[in-house]
Amino acid sequence: MMSSRWTPFLFLAPALAGLLIFRLVPIGVAVGGSLTGVSLMGDLRFVGAENFEYLLTDPQFWSSLKITLFFNVIINPLQLAVAFALAMLVFRPLPGLWLYRTLLVLPMAVSTGISAVLFGLFLDGNLGPLNGFLEWIGVGAQPFHRGQDQALYTLIGIATWKGAGYWMLFLLAGLYSIPSTVYEAATIDGASAWQRFRYVTLPLMRKPMAFVLVADTAINFLFFAPVYILTSGGPGGATSLLMFEAYRSAFTFSDIGRSLAISTILLGIILVIVVLEFRLLRSPEERA
Amino acid sequence: MEAQFKNPHALMLRYGLLSILAFIVVCPLAWLALASLRPQSEIFQPVSEFGWSTFFPSRLTFDNYRALWASDFPLAVKNSTFVAVTTVIFGIVVNALAGFAFAAFDFRGKNLLFLLVIASFMMPFEAIVLPLYVMIRAFGWANSYQALIVPEIANGMVIFLFRQFFASIPRDFYEAARVDGASWLYIFTRIAMPLSWPTIATSGLMLFLSQWDSFFWPVVAASNPDYAVVQVAIARNINFEQSDWGGLFASTNLAILLGTIPFLLVQRFYVRTLISGGIK
Repeated sequence: MMSSRWTPFLFLAPALAGLLIFRLVPIGVAVGGSLTGVSLMGDLRFVGAENFEYLLTDPQFWSSLKITLFFNVIINPLQLAVAFALAMLVFRPLPGLWLYRTLLVLPMAVSTGISAVLFGLFLDGNLGPLNGFLEWIGVGAQPFHRGQDQALYTLIGIATWKGAGYWMLFLLAGLYSIPSTVYEAATIDGASAWQRFRYVTLPLMRKPMAFVLVADTAINFLFFAPVYILTSGGPGGATSLLMFEAYRSAFTFSDIGRSLAISTILLGIILVIVVLEFRLLRSPEERA
Repeated sequence: MEAQFKNPHALMLRYGLLSILAFIVVCPLAWLALASLRPQSEIFQPVSEFGWSTFFPSRLTFDNYRALWASDFPLAVKNSTFVAVTTVIFGIVVNALAGFAFAAFDFRGKNLLFLLVIASFMMPFEAIVLPLYVMIRAFGWANSYQALIVPEIANGMVIFLFRQFFASIPRDFYEAARVDGASWLYIFTRIAMPLSWPTIATSGLMLFLSQWDSFFWPVVAASNPDYAVVQVAIARNINFEQSDWGGLFASTNLAILLGTIPFLLVQRFYVRTLISGGIK
């Protein structure tokens, strides 16, 4: 290729400048900012690990961390399982299947904030139909996001409503990449439907499943909008996930140092997840 | 598999499960759409006694939508549209240029830079919202359109999609044009871009949805009502104690339609490209 040495960099410059300034530099700002504090006079000073030391002795932080871990332990396997079930259901041809597929992926296009508002109304005791239905069948009205015991699970449900169809697409691609000859061979060997699923589908789906689990985990560690819109971390701190705690540190308590310290911890977690993702996707020759 | 497919019980079970799941997805959306057409006086009435009237209004009216004209909602739609359209236009040009460079040229540091691109889309944007806010505030951009648009233009996933597409065009094709005396910019604008319209459509939808879906960043960077995008304006209305539930129903339903209609129009390309991009 004959061209000036600089041509490719001219093509790259705007996009790379954007990624550098708005993706890479903020990581440095988070780490740097977490080592500073704002004095009462309003100026920044270097405080070393003080923000982190303070976090480690703060019961509020530990409680948020615990809730965030619990939230992720529940939501990620749940979304993976639902997405997998959906993918199995829409995999093989069926008359009218396109309609089901379209409906199941539709929540992808409903923005996260809007879906939180939608369920805020749908689950509301005075406005929404669900509590009326639950009373009608004799279960009785539920507090959902307003109840300390139910709030976190309600958020998990809303996020799964929104996300399952999206993750289904990746698993569906994985199912399509399994050659049909593998199933035919298993059938000839006398494998039952369950055995084919257990010993053919599941092992061959390990990689797409791992991809979905890891990518979903990265997103759910940063779960924010439904907490902000529906619960503000409550009731009684039951939904104070770390990202919301970081937001509240900065905007309610004007403690940027604490906020960036929590951001740095979350970035560390995300970094581990991204490395995992890279390892999973490194060899494109292997069946995805 | 064939046997399973022909088994009428298995078939019924599959239709049954699919219908239940589709119902769970559609029910809240359909309820809201119908509730937004309710007369203001009927908003609370149907819940007390569960039945048809819970879902179906006694008469349909556009009053709730008409009332929106006088609220802050048109401004929010204008803000969202401006932010999304600008991001899509600049995003396509900027990321396609970079994708082209990765596909058509060999240069020093290519692999390292491409690694940066991939890493950038594996890290969700939410992870850097708070430090980015500190930066934006230092730039003097807090509460401005720039704050909403500029950080969202460069998009690793879109660069990746364009690279994949441009790499599928044989390099001989580009080189033949070079021999004929075409400049690289000419090759990019007149040959490569016109061929890539499915990628342009997908990337456009992806950039649109990224703006449409973002909530944390607009809440942090542009909380002033003058710059509030749709999702932020609506979230503000559900948080404040208020009485205009009809207006909230109507604006939320409009926001859902504004996202789902473009999605339904382009979803075939979108889904295909997303899958091949995500797995490879």
